[in-house]
Amino acid sequence: MKKLLIVDDSSVMRRTIETNLAEYDLEIIGQASNGVTALEIVRDKMPDVITLDITMPEMDGIACLEEIMKIHPEAKVMVITALSDKLTGLIALDKGARGFMFKPVNSVDLVRAFDKLLKRDGK
Amino acid sequence: MGSRKEEFEATCNMFINAVSNYFKHLTEIDSDTKVPYLKESKELILKDFTGMIGISGGRKGFVYISANRDMFAELINIFIGIKDPSEEDILDMAGEISNILAGNVRANLRANFMISAPTVFEGMPKGVEIPEDISVYVIPISWNKHEAFVVIGLD
Repeated sequence: MKKLLIVDDSSVMRRTIETNLAEYDLEIIGQASNGVTALEIVRDKMPDVITLDITMPEMDGIACLEEIMKIHPEAKVMVITALSDKLTGLIALDKGARGFMFKPVNSVDLVRAFDKLLKRDGK
Repeated sequence: MGSRKEEFEATCNMFINAVSNYFKHLTEIDSDTKVPYLKESKELILKDFTGMIGISGGRKGFVYISANRDMFAELINIFIGIKDPSEEDILDMAGEISNILAGNVRANLRANFMISAPTVFEGMPKGVEIPEDISVYVIPISWNKHEAFVVIGLD
């Protein structure tokens, strides 16, 4: 079972992601509301899959993504952000994300994106 | 290049589109936008719970969404199946919607439209007044029998 970390400053959003990804063979090993807490969990538990918001207090998602890639470059990071411009998405891909989604995301969007993310790696 | 007024109205239209898309995409229930208006007085127009985003860059100001508890509670129920959410969840929901609306609009305006993390509050905060140089545009919306306001203030 793959280990999943959910990072978003909105508690409702974290639980929405959790609810919609319940059908996958993923164990939720942590949730974080900012980049600093997320990095602590990454160092401690080395999640296989991470959903990552960008606009967060303390450390934003792009800075967090750069650190994640130094600690755990194999992590499959899906950026889920309200900053819905393509440049933000391209920056995330350049920093090592495997995909990006623009909020608002519904259950269909999440399932479609995670089908691709997990299938792409053959896992 | 358009005038400041045209620019302001274009920004407001982007928010109207963002609101419409938010409700339709996440709930499959259309929202209805009433006739937007420029607000003359300087006090905030608020319902019970509010999520607000600060705007900086080319224009300075704010945008917020304000609605009664029932609307945010119904959205939370749709998203995660909780029928009686905590006050913390209601505030979280208000902040997340404001963040998404502002983030969606920023896609069109880029560097001229930098947005803060959301500020959330219940009721009327004390001592808050709209500065003289800020124009305020109110977009009344209804969704699934709930009334809400999206309010945009820009210099």
